[in-house]
Amino acid sequence: MMHAPASRFVSRRTALKNTACGFGMLAASGLAAEAARAETGRANPLQARQPHHAPRAKRVIFLFMQGGVSHVDSFDYKPLLEKRDGESLGFDDARALAKTGQRGVSKTIMKSLWKYSRYGQSGLWASDLFPEMARHVDKMCFLHSMHTDGVAHGPATLFLHCGATSLIRPSMGSWITYGLGTENQNLPGFVSISPSAGNGGPRNYGNAFLPAVFQGTALGSAGRPAKDAMIQDLVNASRTPDQQQQQFDLITALNKEQYGARGGGSELDAVINSYELAWRMQGAAPEVIDTSSESQETRDLYGIGQPKTDNFGRQCLMARRLCEAGVRYIQVTYGDNGANPAWDQHGNMPKHKEHALAVDQPIAGLLQDLDQRGLLEDTVVWWGGEFGRTPYAQGSDGRDHNPGGFTVWLAGGGVKAGHSHGATDEFGHKAVEGKVHMHDLHATILHLLGLDHKRLTYRYAGRDFRLTDVHGRVVQEILA
Amino acid sequence: MLAAAIVLLGSLSVRAAENQDRAVLDLFEAKIRPVLIARCYECHSQEGEEVHGGLLLDTRAAIRAGGDSGPAVVPGKPDESLLLSALRHEDFEMPPDGKLGEDVVADFTRWIETGAHDPRDDDAATPIAQSIDIEAGRQHWSYQLPREHKPPHVSDPEWSQNAIDRFVLHRLEQQGWAPAGPAKPDVLIRRVYYDLIGLPPTPEQIDEFVSDPTQQNYEAIVDRLLDSPRFGERWARHWLDVARYGESNTLRGTVFGEAWRYRDWAIDAFNEDLPFDQFIQQQIAGDLLEAETSEQRRKQLTATTLLALGNTNFENQDKEQLRMDVVDEQLETVGGAFLAQTITCARCHDHKFDPIPTADYYALAGIFRNTRTLVDANVSRWIEVSLPAPPEVENEIQLHEERVAAKRAEIAAIREELKPSTATAQTRTSGPVRAESLAGIVVDNTDAFVVGAWKESQFAKPYVGASYIHDEAMGRGEKSISYEVPVPKDGEYEVRISYTIGSNRASNVPVAVTSAGGKQTKVVVDQRKAPGIDGLFHALGRFPFKANEAAQIVISNQGADGHVIADAVQLVPLGESQSRPPAKVAKQPEKQQENQQQTASLKTKLKQLEEELKKLQGAAPRREQVMSVQERGEIENSPIHIRGNVHNLGSVAPRGFLQVATYGEPPEFNDQQSGRRELAEWIASDRNPLTARVAVNRFWHWLFGAGLVRTTDNFGSVGELPSHPELLDYLAVQFQEESWSVKTAIKRMVCSRTYQMSSQAKEPQVVAQQVVAEPDPENRLLWRANRRRHDAESIRDTILSVSGRLSLEMYGPTHRKGMGNDYDYRYDGLRRSVYVPAFRNSMPEIFEVFDFANPSMVVGTRTTSTVAPQALFMMNNRFVVEESEEAAKRLLKETSDATDEQRLVLAYRRTLGRTPTPREQQISLKFLADHDAGQQQQAWSSLFQAMFASIDFRYLD
Repeated sequence: MMHAPASRFVSRRTALKNTACGFGMLAASGLAAEAARAETGRANPLQARQPHHAPRAKRVIFLFMQGGVSHVDSFDYKPLLEKRDGESLGFDDARALAKTGQRGVSKTIMKSLWKYSRYGQSGLWASDLFPEMARHVDKMCFLHSMHTDGVAHGPATLFLHCGATSLIRPSMGSWITYGLGTENQNLPGFVSISPSAGNGGPRNYGNAFLPAVFQGTALGSAGRPAKDAMIQDLVNASRTPDQQQQQFDLITALNKEQYGARGGGSELDAVINSYELAWRMQGAAPEVIDTSSESQETRDLYGIGQPKTDNFGRQCLMARRLCEAGVRYIQVTYGDNGANPAWDQHGNMPKHKEHALAVDQPIAGLLQDLDQRGLLEDTVVWWGGEFGRTPYAQGSDGRDHNPGGFTVWLAGGGVKAGHSHGATDEFGHKAVEGKVHMHDLHATILHLLGLDHKRLTYRYAGRDFRLTDVHGRVVQEILA
Repeated sequence: MLAAAIVLLGSLSVRAAENQDRAVLDLFEAKIRPVLIARCYECHSQEGEEVHGGLLLDTRAAIRAGGDSGPAVVPGKPDESLLLSALRHEDFEMPPDGKLGEDVVADFTRWIETGAHDPRDDDAATPIAQSIDIEAGRQHWSYQLPREHKPPHVSDPEWSQNAIDRFVLHRLEQQGWAPAGPAKPDVLIRRVYYDLIGLPPTPEQIDEFVSDPTQQNYEAIVDRLLDSPRFGERWARHWLDVARYGESNTLRGTVFGEAWRYRDWAIDAFNEDLPFDQFIQQQIAGDLLEAETSEQRRKQLTATTLLALGNTNFENQDKEQLRMDVVDEQLETVGGAFLAQTITCARCHDHKFDPIPTADYYALAGIFRNTRTLVDANVSRWIEVSLPAPPEVENEIQLHEERVAAKRAEIAAIREELKPSTATAQTRTSGPVRAESLAGIVVDNTDAFVVGAWKESQFAKPYVGASYIHDEAMGRGEKSISYEVPVPKDGEYEVRISYTIGSNRASNVPVAVTSAGGKQTKVVVDQRKAPGIDGLFHALGRFPFKANEAAQIVISNQGADGHVIADAVQLVPLGESQSRPPAKVAKQPEKQQENQQQTASLKTKLKQLEEELKKLQGAAPRREQVMSVQERGEIENSPIHIRGNVHNLGSVAPRGFLQVATYGEPPEFNDQQSGRRELAEWIASDRNPLTARVAVNRFWHWLFGAGLVRTTDNFGSVGELPSHPELLDYLAVQFQEESWSVKTAIKRMVCSRTYQMSSQAKEPQVVAQQVVAEPDPENRLLWRANRRRHDAESIRDTILSVSGRLSLEMYGPTHRKGMGNDYDYRYDGLRRSVYVPAFRNSMPEIFEVFDFANPSMVVGTRTTSTVAPQALFMMNNRFVVEESEEAAKRLLKETSDATDEQRLVLAYRRTLGRTPTPREQQISLKFLADHDAGQQQQAWSSLFQAMFASIDFRYLD
């Protein structure tokens, strides 16, 4: 593009004003689009809506650590592992259990590869795998007693996103935008930054049977540089802005004529409206996505410009900008399209450090930035993977999947800060105290947003579906 | 409290009981009741919001009756009390958020041991599960057999083209309304072209009808369209929505390389007007049906791909769970597609709305449980079977197989001769060895857990199973493979690994064996040396194993000095390890030299023969493969899975169908077959109340934009009622009587006056004042035609036909062969949309934004959304921009001598099927005039794009 983004936007805004004064008003008055009504029973399905109860947070940023970070090497401190390192002991290995029903399979205990210390006022433990994040433990609420369904990546990843391991279900962001709408009508309500094509791919941000407006919008994709991330069809490289303006005016003129010839109607209002919204989005979204206007200081905070952190730093900064612009649900994925994604160190646990180096500074920067801007107050930040890893070795220096016990942390929007909830057993293998199932986490996040997970339902194929199926318990203990 | 004591202690006096059992009653009050209230009642009391697992714990009767899984408390018998097992986190884990303390569990144990004294009054009786009344359920309209209805009398018989119109008009007359006038000829011809073949008529084809808009000419055109191969493409695509047709799996994006055969089968089925009852039977049980020709057999096998297309979770490690998930998906598809029933609601409990008890679910599930859909492995795989080849090819294959067999026999003979002189038997076999043919317990590499990038190979032989893997001599220390071998009983076993030798192999492969008690033994294997046992296996040693601990064998490439091979692991219980007779006694020394010479020549011959065999095999005529299912060896009935849990089995449900929709004798099942054949016959029968209705309603929906029952996939009690029940029955009965001919049914519909009405009217025309005049904005009574938004395929195919680039090539695979996954796949071909690969992870954007059917679910009715991404697509997408340019180029090339006005007429007729309105002409000409001569093509391109983006392009009147 030859024109600076700002000037482009101004010209579009002017154009919109023009259309809005004239023919666009038709659409404005008829926002109650028949098509939308038919689908959702309400006028504009993305209009911000009242939640079930007073919310503690307005939006969510989910930092997805794909592949499964080892909790025993990061935030779940287990001194016994060090003491008994190298010993063989019988464990109820989740994989063996699912495959053969066998319990008490002999495994070799492996201690954390990173040293633990206490941090912050709260004195919570963290290892030096994530030294930057560790500085922010006072903002975090650790859930050390997570457990979930699915031993393999595919099922567990779907479960994390959609609350079901194999059935076709809407993803959490779709449920939330369905429940709450969104605050900025010029942007999508649910954005997934650099989503992975693997392990369920689009299903992890899909609307399934919910109306199409609640589909997550992909911004970039895993494996492609974040600096090139764009929403599909948002820009047209083959035309100059002037040509695009002419094109839009021509479409508008023809549609006006045809609208009139057909005598209007709410369904056609919706078409007109969709063009106007698209035009506004085309103006607004690239600006929000573009991080170049940020100060050097901010960019440094996220590690942008540093080879190791540049990519994930950009993703995190985009997340903050989208969050600020009123996007309801933002997912940021650190992962790839492989069958053994990112954190999946079945062998070579030391490789965790490489991944940690890529995300640690950006996430710490995001927390600090959100805090400074007052956004952390009503934004829930959720950090975690689809499961954790075993406290015993796989091969010589790897760890296998562990859906029975792992750690995630939340920060901001109504959760206790500098707090730790629940516990795994003394080895860090299975959650035993204050257990939080993934369904419970879903229920809790919905609760923070003012939604009752039992009332957020959608009727499809003759039954009322919900994100938490027939399960889920709000973890009251962590609410601030 | 006293009542309880009396019940428990029989004739003892109240006071005596109180005295004697003071302690145990105290125990209940002090230790048991508070825990139940605090930790259990939330989910297991009548006060709770929901009762989980059908289990109540808030009364004595309830706690003893228990829930779905059985009694929670059996007084005096802690081992039989499920409550205790749950508290101990054995069969269940309760409470779900963490185990209670040991002391609490001990209290409960003591309480149960001492008789589980429970003073709680039972005035609130335990709710007993309502059993479903099938006979009452039959009252629902869709479970009654369709009846013959005579078309009613109407006041204006002239209006009716056929019986459909009399049913419709009769209903309108009751309302006091008149039907809308006929659609204009250019509108009608466009409508019927799209509805029957999914493409717009060309300007010439429009003229052909507009110049002679009679019913006779119309019907002639309809016949022609029904005969066009494009008809099958259009209607097969409708069916593919219902069949949740996809060519890949979401997890890992694995491509179903042979799925396209099913798509082609469906196209042929519609084009050949395959009777719909056979259409159904072939899809459910094509592999079990007799076939007269190999061609017929091919088609029938291909039809069963339907059952294998589910978006399955191949990775599920719990293979029993996976098996039942597959069954569930098949029931959802078959139930939804053919019967419009939500059978799978009854997987965990009786259907909440419809008369479908859980027993019916498992009666049906038993049929599919007898059907094998997957080959289990760490990542399971679908099944492909060989298609019979045409007779001449089949002959060739047989000849070839004979030649191969002859060659093999020759080789075997030489080997036999060589055998005594090669006592180590380096080459017992030259090809793959089936794991099943080996002694002991064998786990092949495909079932082991692999870490890091290993490469699959079949290069060196022999190996076990389909292939072996090697580490490419790269990534030292990053790769391993771990075999978990189930141990059948305690004892000592010989542990062996198989590998293929070669000079590039590692001589120091580290192998770790974990045996009884978690004892780990490290062994180093030299893979340059031939394995000692049959040239296939190498013994690592003898180890003790326990039955409850899997033997674990880990091969890694840590510090390896060459290629590391991993194939199979074998555990042979001692006593069985002598799989070969002892080696023959060595020959006399003086004969050694002679023997050596003979051996050398035999070896040369052997080598030559093996090369010939390889060549022969390389040139093998291959049978084509198709996705399908197979019968399981063991035919059985399925137990009911309590709450849908595969590990919690109840009583057995004999195979059967939906009771509420079964008329006549209860079914008899062949005990040698899964039962799919019987199921197929039950569905595709005149005596099934649902099938024909569901089918004709789908056709109606696809032609009119809304079904007579608008919930096309749900004819149950939460589905909508038919707007014209007699008409629906009439169509269903006709369909059955006319041999389930789809084309006949469709022709009747499109030739009706009802279909040919105009869609323009906003209100019904009132001709007689009625007492109750309910408005009908949704046109349920069919007082006009429906305006419909085009589906994604029509939009794409029309754009390509306007640009002149649409390819009408039919059939065949349309993705690259051997694709690993479907990630980021982009189809750039120009064939009709039905041929665009239906990849579940990379749907073309145009499909995504214009509400293409979700290829993982049965979709009889697509949603039609109007959202901004559609507008962004039309304004900015590369496909739209490029095809607009092509359309402009084509137009300018064809009309070099024409004026812009003339060009406009052609452009509008091509794109929108009509001439421009004066205002459109004015806008368009002005737009063209704003561009100078050098920008002519670009201006026209913009104009085409604007037409594509316009309202009229998007809607079919």
